[in-house]
Amino acid sequence: MTTTLSRRRFLKIAAAGAGGIGAAALLAACGSAAPQSGQSGGQAQPAAPVQGDKVVTEITFWWWDQVGEVWKEPFEKAYPNIKLNFVNTPFADAHDKLLTSFAAGSGAPDVASIEIGRVGGFTAKGGLADLLAPPFDAGSLKNDMVAYKWTQGSTSDGRLVCLPWDIGPAGIWYRTDIFEALGLPTDPEAVEQLIGGPDRTWDDFFAFAKQLKEKSGGKTSLFADAGTDIYGAVYRQQGEGYADGNKVLIEEKATRPFQLAARVRREGIDANIPWWGAEWQTGLRDNAFAGMVIACWMQGGLTREQPDLVGKWRVVRAPEANYNWGGSFMAIPEQSKNKEAAWTFVKWACATPEGQNIMFKASGVFPAYKPAWEDPLYDEPVPFFGGQRAYRWGTEIGDNIKAIFRTPNDLQLDDIVGAELTKVLQDGKDPVQAAKDAEAEALKRIPDLQG
Amino acid sequence: MATTTSSVSVDQQHPTSRGSTLREIKRNGWAYAFISPFYILYAVFGMFPLLYGVWLSFFKWDGISEMQWIGLRNYTRLFADDIWWYAVYNTIWLFFGATVPQLTIALILAFIINSNYIRGKDIYRAAFFSPFVASSVAISIVFLSIFGSRYGLLNYALSFVGIGPIRWLEDASWIKPSIAMVIIWQWTGYSMIIFLAGLQSINAELYEAAKVDGARTRDVFWHITMPLMRPVILFQVILSIIGAMQNFDIPVMLAGGTQSSAPGGTDRAGLVAMVQLYWTAFKYGEFGYAAAMALILFVLILIFSVIYNRWQGRSPTD
Repeated sequence: MTTTLSRRRFLKIAAAGAGGIGAAALLAACGSAAPQSGQSGGQAQPAAPVQGDKVVTEITFWWWDQVGEVWKEPFEKAYPNIKLNFVNTPFADAHDKLLTSFAAGSGAPDVASIEIGRVGGFTAKGGLADLLAPPFDAGSLKNDMVAYKWTQGSTSDGRLVCLPWDIGPAGIWYRTDIFEALGLPTDPEAVEQLIGGPDRTWDDFFAFAKQLKEKSGGKTSLFADAGTDIYGAVYRQQGEGYADGNKVLIEEKATRPFQLAARVRREGIDANIPWWGAEWQTGLRDNAFAGMVIACWMQGGLTREQPDLVGKWRVVRAPEANYNWGGSFMAIPEQSKNKEAAWTFVKWACATPEGQNIMFKASGVFPAYKPAWEDPLYDEPVPFFGGQRAYRWGTEIGDNIKAIFRTPNDLQLDDIVGAELTKVLQDGKDPVQAAKDAEAEALKRIPDLQG
Repeated sequence: MATTTSSVSVDQQHPTSRGSTLREIKRNGWAYAFISPFYILYAVFGMFPLLYGVWLSFFKWDGISEMQWIGLRNYTRLFADDIWWYAVYNTIWLFFGATVPQLTIALILAFIINSNYIRGKDIYRAAFFSPFVASSVAISIVFLSIFGSRYGLLNYALSFVGIGPIRWLEDASWIKPSIAMVIIWQWTGYSMIIFLAGLQSINAELYEAAKVDGARTRDVFWHITMPLMRPVILFQVILSIIGAMQNFDIPVMLAGGTQSSAPGGTDRAGLVAMVQLYWTAFKYGEFGYAAAMALILFVLILIFSVIYNRWQGRSPTD
């Protein structure tokens, strides 16, 4: 249970929480039990009701965060002849549901959302419309989008089937109330010095984490879990992806993160509390950990589920390198009967400063569309971070991270490495051996891959 | 029809018997029309997917692209798949670790509640049955809080007797017992109600006669209750075998891909067959391979049911 690797896990447990009991609650990113805005599902509405003398086209949009509703009003105001039906599809099965609708030949929405963990699978298969071909015109947007996202959304034969939506600039978040109580400085510049200055390494960071734990008498750690906080960060810093096409990169990518995570667990630096569940929630309220290594989209969920902590967070860059965690795409299924209206919405939501920044303000979902960053919003103090001007650095991450590889086998590779990670953290397995074993396992289980 | 010459008569009989079946159907056309909602729906939503699953298991298919015939290769691969067989092992472990105790406890509880020494039977019946009504997701969220390592109720309670803290859902050796505890808690009441119905159908005169003859409660249980309950127990056990082989929701919520890094948690200790099947189809996009798993699972259920039936299924009068 220790190690949560990715945003999709996070969203999954959110979906689990949809049963309504508040335990999995943070999860609002998946908008838990809120009434669904349409059980009607994803069928495209062929009917074109007439309002006044205008023809109104209805489009259906699937996403896994209730906050999707904030788009409805401004979009329908800008395009009065399109009606936007947002359907909150729990993350746990949103992609599976889309896949099923492709297999069945009907039932897909007009606009689907696809997360970074699944994009490799969807670009490799059919079912999604090429947004570079008429009636779409995504080609003109290429230079405005974060480059690696564009690559991820493209197929191997050069079609673009998933339009970049958001990125996940990640860093170290910490809580000023706990730092203050422990007699530590709370100002981001001073904290950056504490964790090793501008050229900080993970070693410096761990040294500080140890100090903090000692200062608190062992009660408070700097972060919850070696798996999610440390493995997740160090792995993504090298550029996410355990395979480049058919070439397996597990040993190369996983060895060092395994080693660092194992060291953190062995030396008792983390709180050893698994992420996202009830334990983590309680730990947060109990001050069991004073920070986390996390991406900007966490802001939406934390604001809703832990409103008392709003304003107490600060953010500084992670040691060694900037990196990305998570992010999604929008796609238009071939089945859609309202492709032009769907494209109007997709373009407005992902590729206008207006559409992107409405969502950014509401949830911290960081635009992959670069012109959106010109808004003064990105230089203003952020209430969630206690007035820290916390957004501009996120824009610097956009084009300055290592290449991310996506393949159709990503989920299986994640699970294979994840299983070894549990052995490293729970059973004390040798990290180097674990990475070797994971690579061997991947080669054995996925016939297409080569070492 | 044992003789060789009878082949002629078989050939002759076949068309006639088929004809008579058809005639029977025709004669009762209205009756068949009235029950048609069931068998049409069953054919479409029950039979067709079943047969299609078998067909699918000979293909390589990702759910979208063209299906590709690969003969028996899904099966040869499956027989060498150590994770699959570990998942099957975990499933069988949970059958013995959860379903067997659950049935045993249910039978004992049913016997106690059925006895004359208990007052307020309805209250107990309702209380034991209520976990069955709760949704698995809600149950899992409650148990996630109970099994928490640091803030969990169970570890808190154990701390008073100096045990712990146990990492219930993170320690590979505790994952299966934790899942078993939840399954027992959820299903005991249901089995108990079925057993209770069986107990109540036993003629009270038999008990009275035994009492008059001076039998002790234990003897009554072993020599009167158990033999007469055999059909009910058989029914319950077969259903439980099927249910246990298809365990999905509790393992997936406690140790599945929701919380841990990989389905099944640490060392895949909580990975059951259905979870591996679902992941293979919908997450890894290998529908044909998953269909082969389903068929193997079906065969396993069949084998277990037949073995049990052979062992215990004799009529009580034998």
